[in-house]
Amino acid sequence: MADIKRDAAVGAATGSGSTRAEAVGSESLPAGAAAGETLSEERAVTAGAASGSGDAPADPAHAAWLADMERASRAKQVTFMDGIAARLRHARTTVKPEQPMRGAPDFWRAFDWTPEERIERFQANWRSVGGHTERVADLDAAGRFIAERAEELGARIIVRQDQPELATLGLEAAVPQAEVSVWNSDGDVYWKARAAEADIGVVLADGALAYTGTVVVRSAPGKGRSVSLLPTVLFILIPAERLGTRLGEALVPMDEAGREALPAGVHFISGPSRSSDIENDLTIGVHGPGVVYALIVG
Amino acid sequence: MSAHKGRATVKERAELALNDEFLVKAVKFTTERLRNGKKNASAEHGNWEEWRERGRQIRLHTIAHLDYYLNLFVDNARANGVHVHFADKGEDAVAIAMDIAQRKAAKTVVKSKSMVSEELHLNHALEGIGVEAIETDLGEYIIQLAGEMPSHIVIPAIHKNRYQIADLLSEVAGERLEADTTILAGFVRKKLREKFLEADIGMTGCNFAIAETGSMVLFENEGNARMVTTVPKTQITLMGMERIIPSFEDLEVMATLLPRSATGQKLTMYMSAITGPKRTADADGPEEMHIIIVDNGRSLQLGDPEFQELLNCIRCGACLNACPVYRHIGGHAYGSTYSGPIGAVLTPALNKNIAEWDDIANASSLCGACYEACPVKIPLHDMLIYLRRRKVETGNGKAIETAGMKGFAALTGSSAAMKAALAIGKLGQRLVVRGGEIRTKLGPLKGWNSYRVTPSLPRRSFRDRWEKLEREVGGTRPQMAPDMQRRMEEIVKQREQGGGGHGGH
Repeated sequence: MADIKRDAAVGAATGSGSTRAEAVGSESLPAGAAAGETLSEERAVTAGAASGSGDAPADPAHAAWLADMERASRAKQVTFMDGIAARLRHARTTVKPEQPMRGAPDFWRAFDWTPEERIERFQANWRSVGGHTERVADLDAAGRFIAERAEELGARIIVRQDQPELATLGLEAAVPQAEVSVWNSDGDVYWKARAAEADIGVVLADGALAYTGTVVVRSAPGKGRSVSLLPTVLFILIPAERLGTRLGEALVPMDEAGREALPAGVHFISGPSRSSDIENDLTIGVHGPGVVYALIVG
Repeated sequence: MSAHKGRATVKERAELALNDEFLVKAVKFTTERLRNGKKNASAEHGNWEEWRERGRQIRLHTIAHLDYYLNLFVDNARANGVHVHFADKGEDAVAIAMDIAQRKAAKTVVKSKSMVSEELHLNHALEGIGVEAIETDLGEYIIQLAGEMPSHIVIPAIHKNRYQIADLLSEVAGERLEADTTILAGFVRKKLREKFLEADIGMTGCNFAIAETGSMVLFENEGNARMVTTVPKTQITLMGMERIIPSFEDLEVMATLLPRSATGQKLTMYMSAITGPKRTADADGPEEMHIIIVDNGRSLQLGDPEFQELLNCIRCGACLNACPVYRHIGGHAYGSTYSGPIGAVLTPALNKNIAEWDDIANASSLCGACYEACPVKIPLHDMLIYLRRRKVETGNGKAIETAGMKGFAALTGSSAAMKAALAIGKLGQRLVVRGGEIRTKLGPLKGWNSYRVTPSLPRRSFRDRWEKLEREVGGTRPQMAPDMQRRMEEIVKQREQGGGGHGGH
């Protein structure tokens, strides 16, 4: 499967250096994550997507059909909204209505745990849903931990996101028996299939929330959605200063940064893939990773 | 489509369900588990009533200005590079989805759970043009193999045991699979993985759509919705037109209410916010993304003071788990995509055919447990009464019941008639009274006396004793407040003029 070529258009923008120059502090979370940390490479590449539908190969007939559909849809939009307004018995609302209650109650916004409490609660929540979690002193220790597990499990293929923090883990040297791939680092690899055959995926969290035991990962050219989804075992590195308390700490900044700053996928992960669909019997690892390690760094 | 469709009424379908011992046990066990999970999760979180009210207010506001918020969502989704379509009717949505599938020369569509697509019977339509539509939620996959409809919004295959599931999956595998949950789930993981990678189109529903950013949000535990929105080159999202909330800030409230109410979780294992197709340099995510906004009867509730709040529903299933009727008869007895209290109201409301579905409004004890459980406080028990009233008003009531009610009104409207009737009754009941009770299951008493006992008429009724009672209490009887007395007299006068109607609905 790995020989299936990806569309040529994607090949150009793979490297790690070019898109990472512009760090946008406001997108990171929680406030503790310093702006200088290079986790916000998304903005540089989002502009291209606003104009059209990704990088589908230019098929003129298909493009013409899409344009036709769009014309019809824009006309229909007017009658559809007019119909709704008529049913609601008011004129079309074109000015933003005042929203009497927005978001969480005030008492909730004031709620916060100390950094130590956050770590403790996060780990308790993560374990309660069948996840594994450890606290490690630094990235070196995290690298050693992953290498040990990889050896234990006999991992053959590891895929990691293309981020400098993960490069410093030195997995290539530490796990010699495994092939370590860096997401989207080579235009000729069918990366989705690569992630699907991987035993281990390694990602760096963009944020984490203790109250629900949740990790936030944002997609980017160097950060595939597949890496946190397709491998059998997943390691998520959480720098301790990115661990907040409430979900809102990750959501409110998404509103504030605005539509154009959002990547294609923001994923909130709260443990291993699971299902109780067969006789209410809990099964772990139904479609996504069944073994998920949250490593809190620092 | 399946066996339960053939039976005409809820009563017949329920008998089918009640006879299936496993189903009854499984439904009870599951709903019990979910209900307790919800109770614990909401209690543990604290201030539940305040969160509920918050959720209700956000939904009320959005629906009251749906033209604004939906329009904003559409504009933003387009700016994100999404192709947006509108469907007034289910058929329109199906036609658009099929059009896209044909344009893409699709052979396979992988789907994550979507109640809207169930509502549209889309899989059937796709099969008609030679496109294989595969449900990838474990429970949905199982019932698709069995050729059935979901029996619960959250756990669609609760009516199947693992031996039945092993049989179904063994057929797919071409070898005998052990009836072991881990083995069965492992087989589905492997099987569907191939399907995700070869599928041309991924199809999803939508839990919430964020108006201000044009994003769509999915809640799930298995990861199949993430697969469907990550791996195939084309993504189609079917979205009920009412799924909108204004902002991600509001999503915090919904994310607090939905998982706790549905499964008792603090948050589902995955919550994904998808904003447009993949960016040019991304190596995964769909290249082309479509969102089909579906009305299909929803706008009928807009502007209807009795039913507009139905659109606030966030599809958590808490009302099913709380409902004493659902817990006994299960989802299939409702005979439609949506079951339980929400289904009893939503199905006739969406279809505008009250007559056809009237009996499911009667499959409720009006106890109000559904309202208590609802995270956005939809007054479902009130709506069930409105439905029953509309059924009668549109002339779809039962003729015998209507005649009976008229007779009862005539009898109790006149003291002479009442007196005469009681006298006849006291004589007549001698035939059936045994030890002060009536247990016969003959005639009009059959339904009641099957599970209960009718008390006999007393030898001396309250009416008979009235004269003596009045003498005894004499002048000590408390006087009615003058304004209340006036009001009562007014009502009596009006009733006499209006000709004995039984209520000002």
